[in-house]
Order: sequence, then structure tokens, then C-alpha cells
Amino acid sequence: MSTFAQQLVNGVVIGSLYGLIALGYTMVYGIIQLINFAHGEIFMIGAFGGLAVHIYVLPDGTPALVGLVVVLLAAMATSVATALIVERFAYRPLRNAPRLAPLITAIGVSLFLQEFVRLYYFGGGAKSDRAFPQFIGGDPIRIGGVQFDRVSVFIVVIAIVLMVALSAFVRNSKTGKAMQATAQDRDTAQLMGINTDRIIIVAFVLGAALAGVAGVMQGMQAGVIGFRMGFLAGIKAFTAAVLGGIGNIAGAVLGGFVLGMAETMAVAYIPGLFGGGAWKDVWAFILLIVILVFRPQGLLGERVVNRA
Amino acid sequence: MTLFLRRLWQQRDYFRRFEAQGRLIAAAGALLTLVGCFTPWALFAGFPGKVSLAGSPTGSRAYCLALLVFVVFMFRPRPGGNAAGEAASFGIVAISLITVFTIASQGGGLVNVAYGAWLTVVGGLLLFVAFASQERDTEVPMLPLGSRGVQLVAVVAAISLTLVLVVEGLSIEAGSQFLMFLAGIGFFLYAASRLGLTNWLQRASERQRAITVTAALACALVFPFAMDGNNYWLRVAATVGLFAATVVGLNIVVGLAGLLDLGYVAFFGVGAYVGASLSGSPSSNIGWNPPFLVAMVVGAIAAALLGVIIGAPTLRLRGDYLAIVTLGFGEIFRIAMNNLDGEAGPDITNGPNGIPGVPNLAIGDLNFGETRHVFGFDLGYFVNYFYAELILIALVMLVFVRLNNSRIGRAWVAIREDETAAAAMGVNTVRLKLLAFAIGAFLAGAAGTLNAHLTTQVSPDSYRFDESILLLAAVVLGGMGTIGGAILGSTAIQVIPEKLRFFDEQRILFFGLALVIMMRFRPEGIVANKRRQREFHEEGGADATSTPPGAPVEPMSGENR
Repeated sequence: MSTFAQQLVNGVVIGSLYGLIALGYTMVYGIIQLINFAHGEIFMIGAFGGLAVHIYVLPDGTPALVGLVVVLLAAMATSVATALIVERFAYRPLRNAPRLAPLITAIGVSLFLQEFVRLYYFGGGAKSDRAFPQFIGGDPIRIGGVQFDRVSVFIVVIAIVLMVALSAFVRNSKTGKAMQATAQDRDTAQLMGINTDRIIIVAFVLGAALAGVAGVMQGMQAGVIGFRMGFLAGIKAFTAAVLGGIGNIAGAVLGGFVLGMAETMAVAYIPGLFGGGAWKDVWAFILLIVILVFRPQGLLGERVVNRA
Repeated sequence: MTLFLRRLWQQRDYFRRFEAQGRLIAAAGALLTLVGCFTPWALFAGFPGKVSLAGSPTGSRAYCLALLVFVVFMFRPRPGGNAAGEAASFGIVAISLITVFTIASQGGGLVNVAYGAWLTVVGGLLLFVAFASQERDTEVPMLPLGSRGVQLVAVVAAISLTLVLVVEGLSIEAGSQFLMFLAGIGFFLYAASRLGLTNWLQRASERQRAITVTAALACALVFPFAMDGNNYWLRVAATVGLFAATVVGLNIVVGLAGLLDLGYVAFFGVGAYVGASLSGSPSSNIGWNPPFLVAMVVGAIAAALLGVIIGAPTLRLRGDYLAIVTLGFGEIFRIAMNNLDGEAGPDITNGPNGIPGVPNLAIGDLNFGETRHVFGFDLGYFVNYFYAELILIALVMLVFVRLNNSRIGRAWVAIREDETAAAAMGVNTVRLKLLAFAIGAFLAGAAGTLNAHLTTQVSPDSYRFDESILLLAAVVLGGMGTIGGAILGSTAIQVIPEKLRFFDEQRILFFGLALVIMMRFRPEGIVANKRRQREFHEEGGADATSTPPGAPVEPMSGENR
């Protein structure tokens, strides 16, 4: 029982990271039907931006809490700036191109960003993993045999706060309503006087800001960041978005949690040769394929087949 | 400097004011360039291309001279001639100027640049001004096809010239000189296209397809002899050949059916693992050791089966899902191969160690591991593989062409352009997409089995996502849906990094950037498929008017990075 509870907790922690990244995929996809392959790299670059500020800007004796807030803001700023540049120069010119073109562009952007960080990050590139500062130390909290790392608690709390805030924003604010309208029907939204180009930018910005936060959290949890970290995290987050129903904000969050738990449970409970940590990524992808077979619209999504 | 060249090209209408003096300027320019090409360019020895010697032109000087010869032909008025002359003389300026800068940076200052280089720069500039001052045809002339004999001679000559240029290009050792060589060819091709020559050649080769194919095949057969014992490049050629066969296969999936497969290398890897396991390698965990052709078919079928398993659920959905699922599949494959080592899973692949010691191919009495002596040439063992790959490429091309011109191929085009409309017209979209996906996987599997023997080992890290991206980049850069494009793209992607060692580190960075730029400016690739070209360009014009009233209308200037 305690293994189960522990894995449940671990699943929630991983899941909240997946959920944060998945939100970026789902918002962009919901509005312009583009799988933004570069989103994983936006997440990665946020972590590196935060690290750069920590190393080069913050003085040595900065209190941990101040440092954390500054690094989080720096990561968000880096991610948002990157996303804006990418949107402006790579995606916007292709707004009306056949679908294959932006998809290939997205892959190109993703490669470019990865290699850019690898080759030209401060201090001779980031060819091997870089250590990430640990702002939250202290012993884990134990409640009845289940261990809560302080970092994990922080991650889950912040993630949930951000998710709630985002969903309130989309549901209640004027811009949020415009986003919903644009997602439903871009042409009609334009006719209603919504500046859809601006809405698309808002979707990219919000997604990137969340990805930046997730990048810092990933760094704090793993202790290191590397230029490749966006690749797998990106695919997983996309899986989470599909799992929950792509285009659906609550779905992305739910999908993140389900995927995170499925992974941790697979590690603990799949017996025999195909169990254990080595196969957990495989199980995550198999889950994606199974979902696509039986419920392509995802857990909370509407019908997506042939919606174009 | 590139900025200066760019500005010069964009502002060339400024020179229209010298229209009356055109002939004089042209004559002066030609003379200066000619003298420049025969005089030294650098004041120190050791610069690539021996440009410090007077007399016979070499390196950049030879490329400038070749362009000059072309330019002189443009002195007589002909349709498109001024535009072509302009492009070629611009090429002279660009090549000489860039060489000047390279000499200066390598020799430590502009003092090391000898007068010959400056003469060529000035001469080229004068030629450029002369052509830019004349009226320019905006349209490319449509040359009449002419008699069959002319077409045959031209096609064969063009293909032979390609062979000569490839051999010549590969023998260049210095990276900077190789770049100038490419630049020279590029400017020449652009100039020729302004005359309508490339278009004519394309039409002629389509008309005389049998001859084109035979000539290309003959050139490929002669290639190892033309490279005369240069084992290094023949080894590269063997790699390129296999890569090209795989790229043509991927081009069926991406170029014909429009399905974005991001895990193609996994199917290639399935073939390679099957090939290695059935090869009789001492490390193989499977006892069965059938003849190679059987192993090839088994590997191809295994890959195709996996393709169907992956494709069947995802192809019912929008195309985007396929991209992500194939991406995931690529990862699953790599992880699985890493873990099927007896510890984390059943012992099949030896995990990260892979299967080493795959023996050389032996089909009947033909042992691929032997060096052969033919007509006094020593041909290393990889030449055997090169010839085997030619057969494979020919087969894949046959599949490609026959499918493209069939009912199935037309159905794929319909699906690619508008899936809903295709379904409404009675095309069974799911089954046809699955067919394309499975054929692609089959061909990749077949190529993979050969690869296991060529590289004599397989290991999980040879089949990473990067490799899938290189394959895709080759398809996209070369041209989606064309065979010529696939082969050109794979050669470029494999050979350029070999040539430009300094560029090796930034390889993926540039390919990523190239994908973005290509999609922005020429989504149909270098060698364009006509139908595909129209598809990519039809919407841009029509939709430009539907900008929302509130939105700021901005000039698209994404290239200014």
C-alpha cells in the first residue's frame, strides 16, 4: 500500500510537469491546428535562461527565495521571447500554407534551438548537462510511510496554481473568450472583430511562460539540465495533451496527471522482463497508441477525426 | 560582404543609366577578368588552388574563367541573355570577392592579395554593370525541343558533365575551394535557367527517358573507375548510395502520399537488426542463417508489419498524429534495442553493444569482402556494395515511378491535397495511406538489411532521431516527390559535411535552419515536382487578400536574420 501511495505521489509530481508543458501544445493546437514541435525546446531554453541569470546576474549571497523568483521570471522571459521570435519568423509566414510545411518548419526550429543551446550557450556551449541550483532544500516530509520531497510539494502547488489561473483567464477574461472563439472558428472570430493574429500570439506567449516555469521545476527536480531535455519532455507532454483531448485545457492537465501516474505505476507494477525504469517511456508511447485506437478524441476532447 | 553582394544584386536597376555605354563597359570588363584569371591572386604559397602562380588558371580562377566564357557567349543578344549574363558576371564578382576575403583572412591582411584578384573583381563588376544596364527579359524563354538527335546528345552530355563535375568536386581537398566550386556551379545553373536551358533539358530528358536512365546508370557504373582508387570517397559513395535508397523510399511516404514519418530510421533499423541477426554473426542470438536475399525479404516484411501495426490506428486520424506517433515509435525502437539485452528484457539484441561482426555479403560465389582488379583498377570491397546499392536504388526507383504513375499514385496526390475531398470521391483514404506507409517501411527494411553488412555491425545508437531528421532533410531539401531531388538531397547531406569538416559540428544546426528557410521560400525543394510546386504555391496568392481588417498588414521579411 505504501508503494502504491508513494508511486501515486511521484506520478502527480511528474504529471504536473507534463501538464504544464501540455498546456502550451494544447492552446496552440486548439487555435491554429499546429503541433508545435519546438515547444519542448521552449521548455528547455527557459531552464537555460533561468540558469544563465542565476550564474551571471544574481550575486552570490542572494536569499534562496528571491533567487527562485528571479530565476522563474527569467526563465519565463527567455521562453516567451524565443516563442515570439519563432512565431513571427517561422510560423506566421506559413499561416496559409499546406499543413506539411509548418510541421516541417516546427521540426527545423526544434533542431535549431537544441543545437543553438548545445553550441553557443554561455561558457562554450552546453554539450554536457549543467548543474541546476537547488533553491529548496531540507529533509523530505514523511506522512505515514509516504515521502514528500519539499521540491516536489513546491512543484505541484505552483503547477496547480498556474493551471487554475490559466483556466480562469481563458474562461473569464475578454482575451480568454476571444481565444475560445478563435479556436472554434477562426474566420468567424475575425468577422466578429477579433484580432486573431494577436490571439495566436497570446496563445504562444501563455504556453511559453508555463513551459519556462516547467523548465525551472524540471531543473530543480533533476538537479541538472541538458540541451536534449526538451525532446522527450516535449513528446511526453504532447502525449498528455492527446490523452486528455487536444485543444482542451482541462484535458491537458488531466492527461498530464494520467500519463505521469501511468509511468510511475508501470515502473512499480509491471512484472517480469518488461518492467522497471528502462521501459517506462515505451509504456507511455504504447498508452498513446492505445488511446488513439480507442478514443482518438482523448479523455475530455470532442471529436477530432477529420476536423480540418 | 554578403550584405554588400546582396545589396548590389537588389539595386542593380541603378545601372540602367549606363545603357548607351554597355558594349564598352562589357569589353573592358571581359578583358580585365581574362587578365585577372591568368595572373596571381595571392602573394603567399600554399593557398588552396595554387592561386599564387601566374599562368594556368586553377581553383577559383578556373571557376571565374568558366563563368567568363559563358558571359562572352551572352554578348550576342538572345532571349534571356542579359539576365543570364548578369547572373554569371555576378557569380564572378561573388567568387573573386569571397576568395579575396579568404586569402586576406588566411594570410593575415589584404596586403597578401595580389593584383590578379583585384583585376577579376573589377572586371566582374564591369561585366555586371554592363549587363545590368541593358534591358532585361523578365520571362524565361521557352526553347523549342528540336530534333531527337539534339536531345539525345544534350542529355547524354549533361549527364556525363555531371559525372565529371562530381569527380572534380570530390577531388578538391580544401573546404573553402569546394565552396567556391559549388558557388560557381550554382551561378552557372541559375544563369542557364534564365536562358531556358535547364527547363529545356528537363523536358528533353522527360521525352528521352530511356536514354536518360541508361546514361545515368552508365555514369554510376563508371564512377568507381573515374574515382581511380580513391578509396575514401568510394567508401563515402557506398554510404551515400544506401542513404539515397532509403531517402527515395521515404520520399514515397512523404513526397507522394504526404505523410510525415519522423521515425523512418526505426524501420531501417528493424531491417538492419534482422539482417544482422540472420547473418550468421557470432554475436547473433538467432541460429538461423538463411541466404542474404531471404534475410532481406524477412527484414523488409518485419519492418512493413511494424509499419502496419503503428500506422493502422494512427492513419485513421489527422496527419499530425502520425508525425508524433512515428516519432514515439523511433524512440521506442531505440529504447527497446537498448533493453533487449537479457537484463531488462529478453536477450535478443545484446543491448547497447549491438551485434558486431556481421560477415561480408556472399551471394553464391560472389564474396563482397574481396578487393577486385578490373581493367587494371583496384576496387576496394565497398565498391561491391556500391554496385549492390545501385541495384537496390534502381528497384526502389522502379517502385516509385510505377506507383507515382498509377491509380494509387493519383489517389495519394488526391489525399495529400484534400483528404476529405478524396474520400468523397470514393478514395479509400485509410487503406491507401496505410499502403504508402507499409511500402515505405518495407523499402527501408530492405535497405537496412544491406546496411548491416556494409557497416558490419548494428547498435541502437545508429538509429537515433537525428538520423530520421537527416533523411527527412534530404527529402525536403532535394524536392518532395521527385527521384532526382531525393538523390541530390542525400548526396548533399552526406557529402557536404564530409567536405567541410569545420562545418561538422554545426551540421544539425544548419539542417534545422535549412528546413525552416526551405519551407518559407521554396517548400517544393531544389528539384521541384511540378504538381507539388503548384500545390505549395496555390494558396499564398489567393489568401493574401483575406487579412483581417483589424490586423496590421506587415511585410513578410522573415529572411532578415
